[in-house]
Amino acid sequence: MKKVLLALLIVTMVVGGAYAQKVYRVGVSMPSATHGWMGNANWWANRAKTDWEKRDKTVQIELKFSGNVNQQVADIEDLLVKKVDALVVFPHDTSVTSIVEKAFNQGVYVVVLDRGVSKEGIYDIYITNDDEAYTRKGMEWLAKQMGYKGNLLLITGIPSPIDTIRTDTIKEVVKKYPNIKLLDVQPGDWNRQKSLTVMENYLQKYKQIDAVYTADDDMMLGAMQAYKESGRKDIKYFLGGGCLKSVIKEIMDDSNPLVKADVTYSPSVIATSISYAVIGVKGEKLNPNVYQVRALPRRIILPSELVTRENAKDFYVPEAPF
Amino acid sequence: MPDAILRVENIVKDFGSGPVLKDVNLEVRPGEILGIIGENGAGKSTLMKILAGIHQPTAGKVYVDGKAVRIADPIAARALKISLVPQEFNLIRDLPVYNNVFLGAELRKRSGVLDKESMKARTRELLAQLNVALDPEARIEGLSAAEKQMVEICKALAFDSRVLIMDEPTTMLTKFEIEILFRLTRKLRSEGMTILYISHKLKEVKHLCDRVVVLRDGELVHDGPTAEVSIVEMAQKMVGRELGSIFPVKGKPGDEVVFEARGVTVPGVLEDISFQLRKGEILGLAGLVGAGRTELAETVLGLRLRSAGTFLKDGRELDLREPADAVAAGISYLSEDRQGAGIITTFSVTRNVTLVSLGEYCRSFFRLIDKRTEKSKVQGYVDSFRIKTDSLDRRLENLSGGNQQKVSLAKAIDTSPSVLIVDEPTRGVDVSAKHEIYVFINELARKGISCLLISSELEEIIGMCDRVLVMRDGRIAGTLEGDRITEEQIMYHATGVQEEAAS
Amino acid sequence: MSATTAKKIDLEKYGALIALGALFVLASIIGWPYFIRPENLVNVMRQSSYTGIIALGMTFVIISGGIDLSVGAVAAFVASCGVLFMNWVLQATGGNEVLAILGGVSVMIALGFVTGALNGLLITKGKIVPFIVTLGTMSIFRYLSLQMANAGEFASQSQLYGTFGMSKIFEFTVGDQAVSLPVPVFTMLALAAILAFLLDNTRYGRYLCAVGSNARVAQYSAVRIDRVRFWAYAINGMCVGASAALLAARFNTVSTPNFGLGSELDAIAATIIGGTAMAGGRGSIWGTIIGVFMLQFIQNMLNMAGLSPYLQGVVKGIVIIGSVYIQKQRQ
Repeated sequence: MKKVLLALLIVTMVVGGAYAQKVYRVGVSMPSATHGWMGNANWWANRAKTDWEKRDKTVQIELKFSGNVNQQVADIEDLLVKKVDALVVFPHDTSVTSIVEKAFNQGVYVVVLDRGVSKEGIYDIYITNDDEAYTRKGMEWLAKQMGYKGNLLLITGIPSPIDTIRTDTIKEVVKKYPNIKLLDVQPGDWNRQKSLTVMENYLQKYKQIDAVYTADDDMMLGAMQAYKESGRKDIKYFLGGGCLKSVIKEIMDDSNPLVKADVTYSPSVIATSISYAVIGVKGEKLNPNVYQVRALPRRIILPSELVTRENAKDFYVPEAPF
Repeated sequence: MPDAILRVENIVKDFGSGPVLKDVNLEVRPGEILGIIGENGAGKSTLMKILAGIHQPTAGKVYVDGKAVRIADPIAARALKISLVPQEFNLIRDLPVYNNVFLGAELRKRSGVLDKESMKARTRELLAQLNVALDPEARIEGLSAAEKQMVEICKALAFDSRVLIMDEPTTMLTKFEIEILFRLTRKLRSEGMTILYISHKLKEVKHLCDRVVVLRDGELVHDGPTAEVSIVEMAQKMVGRELGSIFPVKGKPGDEVVFEARGVTVPGVLEDISFQLRKGEILGLAGLVGAGRTELAETVLGLRLRSAGTFLKDGRELDLREPADAVAAGISYLSEDRQGAGIITTFSVTRNVTLVSLGEYCRSFFRLIDKRTEKSKVQGYVDSFRIKTDSLDRRLENLSGGNQQKVSLAKAIDTSPSVLIVDEPTRGVDVSAKHEIYVFINELARKGISCLLISSELEEIIGMCDRVLVMRDGRIAGTLEGDRITEEQIMYHATGVQEEAAS
Repeated sequence: MSATTAKKIDLEKYGALIALGALFVLASIIGWPYFIRPENLVNVMRQSSYTGIIALGMTFVIISGGIDLSVGAVAAFVASCGVLFMNWVLQATGGNEVLAILGGVSVMIALGFVTGALNGLLITKGKIVPFIVTLGTMSIFRYLSLQMANAGEFASQSQLYGTFGMSKIFEFTVGDQAVSLPVPVFTMLALAAILAFLLDNTRYGRYLCAVGSNARVAQYSAVRIDRVRFWAYAINGMCVGASAALLAARFNTVSTPNFGLGSELDAIAATIIGGTAMAGGRGSIWGTIIGVFMLQFIQNMLNMAGLSPYLQGVVKGIVIIGSVYIQKQRQ
């Protein structure tokens, strides 16, 4: 159906020639959903597509989800064959640099997310979440709750540059408070099941634990499961991140004594990027109230915010999948 | 005359390349031992497989107790009380005897759990009935060929079979084991069992069967009481022509020693083996299964580690550590285990023949295979050995056993060896192919190639060899020459017991 | 008789090619108008080539009756070492890029050989089944690379290397578009020609099939089976090295967690689709090339038609099973 429509559109474009409006085609390439957060990001991408295509008939958005970086490069190549006007890339890793550069040099309007490319000046806009603030805000909050003392355990994500920044930030904050003891750091691979196993081992190994910090909410749920099964009563705080819907709900309703806060690392960053790509490729300007240059900014760092009971409802998106 | 227990009418079987069975009619009477003979490819096994439900006839009908039946699969055959003891045993190596006996029809307790005790007890009973001293819990892996066969027969008894089909049952057995099998077969007949006995070995058929039918090229060419037909007549009916003596005239070996073993010992397998092989000689290696004959051949190939002793070729000591060393020294081996160690069934005729000698075809600068020479050489073998194949590219799995064996022999001699070890060269091969193979070996010996002939068929040893070594329990028990090469002498040395003159 | 035989053989020989042709037509229709564009076809070929080169070596290993699960991890490991070496040469020589690239690529191929040889030795001398050995080395080399890079990436400091990764040869024009053969595609086809020749016309190739068909017969036939097997893994290792060198050049960086991830399964799938028997003894290098192209055609055409990547995975699975099923029916 979609194909027929597409073909029809192309025909209209060719035949309609002069009076056909310019159609802006935006290609989006991002990882497929392998964990909750990315699942949310996929959902946001779809939402941006639906919203834009409803709002503006001159916009067409094509989404490509890929399981690995080789596939992602192939996807981008395919999008270039299809002659997209703008390209949004949420990279698996920096291996996409050369293909992104190729797209940019072909005159495609390029929006890159996160620390995805290893070269400057090959994109129009660069958007990222603030990985450093993400754990800094979280850790500062946690330290305060702990009364700046006690035993802390850490479960990190898949070993990767992003993960290293986050973990290093946590360690840096902990160092400021000599009475907080970081007992152990183990990877939970952004995977609930792996995190559960890691937590089970922790519980065997450490007799007194005060707080557990996991690199995202998925892993926090796994760790908390292990803790509940153990029947122990020593842990006072669990902190994850990334704002899973169920976790935000718990914070909002204050229904879980162990979970009192979360930190945003918004999966909607992809939707934001798509919007910027559309605005950018159409050559539209920013709101005139801005005193600066009114073209879009080249580098955007989205803030990480601490979510507590007071502001949780602002971050609760009931229709999001996770 | 009692009514037929089993009757086949106008059976035709075509696998897609011409009929294998053409309009066969056969009646089997209850309580008889019916011999079914014929050359390889005559259709014996196909007919039996139809009765056992493994193949379906293209046309024709099968009647059991006068009723037309369709034997759709082996389970249907079992329900009709028909059992097949195949040539290649259908046993699972890793399971114990009693599990194999009840395989596919395990006894179960009411709870659905296997009733091991009943199965063991029943197996013990059946084995006792067969006079076989075998532990129901022994694993198949450790059994001799004869014991495995007993397990197969046991299987048939466990299902109260009325018709027992035995396909070449004596191929893997020694003379003594054959006697035991015959005694058992007669015992089963006296208890009312009907037995279909398929064999190449006409002497055995003559000795055992009440009636004999001969199949030739898918047609039934003879049906009559065994007493009324001589072995020579049977052979003629099988082949369809007059037969001369199956063995060629022996040649005159030279005196020069080509190959020698001195005090070869492989712990637990061979002990102090010494012998000399002369130029152009055919030296027989006789003995019971397990006496160490094949193991001796494997030791020459370097596949078994010897703790003492040496092999010498033309007076020079050999360092034999792997088959390639033996080939380099001009020694070639034809394995008894054709499909397991002799030929690659998924390879073409050409690729099989030149597998060992491939280096000879790679003499060019870039060491590429000279396919043209290879092809013409192999065509030569196909012509001179009369290997029946429509193409040199035919895979061996599509060739009959006799033709496979000829390819195997061609492969062994394509390395131009000066010493050829042939292990059971005519196993599973029909009369005319047998004769041809004997002639080839004889010719090779006349050309000056020294042959070591390992065989369980005494006639073969007696008919072919200039000298015979008899092995027993890993030692050489005796050497026979000239007039002393007789069945009695060989068996005497092989068993260590003087036996009554065989009938 | 001979006429029908000839017909049968032809079908056996060209069946896969015919299937590829049919798929090409289908892809042109489903992926209209994008699939058929020269630019896209060049992309598809390049996308196939990295896994394709590995699949060539894998074909040898599978013919020998083995399997190699370590290829993806080995690719990451040798590429990491190669890029490190390349950067070191750059510094040592004060920026001699040609020397650095030659050195780096040589290191990758040589290390590929060494790792393949390690697999081969463990399998032949250690008498451990290939599945276990390569499962082990898969883990070893993946995590060794992660350890070396602290799960990060090694960026090459040579711009020329990246240019080499994107370079093309035999440029010609179709209509108004310039078409050319990317270097990795050329490498794959050249390697395929060499290996196919090796398989069909040398003693080693014949022995390889013999060992895979029936190792015991081969042993009795004076084939040094350990040596034959060893070289299958060593050759595969060199193919992996070559593939890693090209892929690293393409990205001009090696991301240790992702580099070559899952390529073992793609290579095995392509080999099997190409008609090589999983049990060994029989196989075809050109079949593997066809298998590689088929997988990529399907993926590309579905991508062009806008099918979700999850459904693409479903289709890929169906194609793998279906093609083997058809091959079975033909026999």
